[in-house]
Amino acid sequence: MTGLRSIPSHSPDVVTRKTGSEYILVPVIDNIADMDNFYTLNETGAFIWELMDGERNVKEIIRALVAEYDIDDKTARADVISFITELKDYLIIK
Amino acid sequence: MKEYNLNIAGYNIRFESAADGPELVPSERFRNSIVTRPDPNLLITVHSGECNLPRGARRVFHAPLFEEEEGTLIRRAKKFWSVYKHHSRIFIKTTFPYSSTKNKGILLLSLTHMCWDLWLTGDVTEADPMEYPLDALILYYLTIVFGDIMIHASGVNNAGRGYLFSGVSGKGKTTLARLWFKTGGTVINDDRLIIRKRGARYFMYNTPVYTDDKPRESPVSKIFIIEHASENRQVRLTGAAAVSRVMANCIQQNWDREIIARLLGTVSIMCSMVPVSQLFFKPDRRIIEYLLENE
Repeated sequence: MTGLRSIPSHSPDVVTRKTGSEYILVPVIDNIADMDNFYTLNETGAFIWELMDGERNVKEIIRALVAEYDIDDKTARADVISFITELKDYLIIK
Repeated sequence: MKEYNLNIAGYNIRFESAADGPELVPSERFRNSIVTRPDPNLLITVHSGECNLPRGARRVFHAPLFEEEEGTLIRRAKKFWSVYKHHSRIFIKTTFPYSSTKNKGILLLSLTHMCWDLWLTGDVTEADPMEYPLDALILYYLTIVFGDIMIHASGVNNAGRGYLFSGVSGKGKTTLARLWFKTGGTVINDDRLIIRKRGARYFMYNTPVYTDDKPRESPVSKIFIIEHASENRQVRLTGAAAVSRVMANCIQQNWDREIIARLLGTVSIMCSMVPVSQLFFKPDRRIIEYLLENE
């Protein structure tokens, strides 16, 4: 369970590339079976990803999302928690 | 023979047998790729005997043996080939599952030094140094060194336009290649291609698979990610969607950040220069008419 004071940062085992306002995430793997495990982030996902800098906590990321996209706190919180849950293999969460 | 050069996808690869090495006997499928050029991109010295991995070499990647059966991949053996890393040196240990011998091989390569070594153990008075899977592994690491792409795709050239149809097993690569062949297109390859940038354009090349294969190439005018469907239609892909769909069909060993970053960069640039679409198609000649109408 990710708490609001958790501080997420990018795993060193993922390589990213920004294309326009989107990201592609490719994990470092050690076998041929997991080869197609890529992830793409849309503009909102890219915004959240860039905020996960190892300094901001989850609460601060939610606040930034509310300010940027003019959405309510409840929606932003659900989006960020869902994002972290989905991408947990690509993140380090302290 | 004790030495020979192959030109595959524009790479000039020279094989030399070491003093204690085997007689080199390239298999039939490489005969049309033998050249006499003096300036190789890569020299591979072939030895007979053992090569012990250095202490501290770390296994970074491994591949079981998969075989395709009616469009499905089935794992035939747990151990096939493995990649080990020791500082900047990369060792690949492999078996040869389709060989009549029980030989094993160790390829020592570097991404910065273009003199590689190959040790073959077992009964090796004569050997093909490009025996499967060495051919695929050597060509794959050459694409990494040169910033190129190896991809699961068939490719055709029709009246100077090059179409690349990419998909994993069972998606219809060979079907599309055959349909184009029947309508007069030139098939570059029906399963695996190497893509290289020359000047401002991208070119696709075959790699020898069949016994009568000759070197073939074509510019890449359009890339299609293919899917069987009940009607013919295409959807243009752009941005991250295009890059990730093409990446997913690239042949890759993602055990190293630098290797991933190189391929991701190459694919991203190509997708910004060559149109990429998802192609849903019915496997009959009308898909060719559809593609030509939508040129």
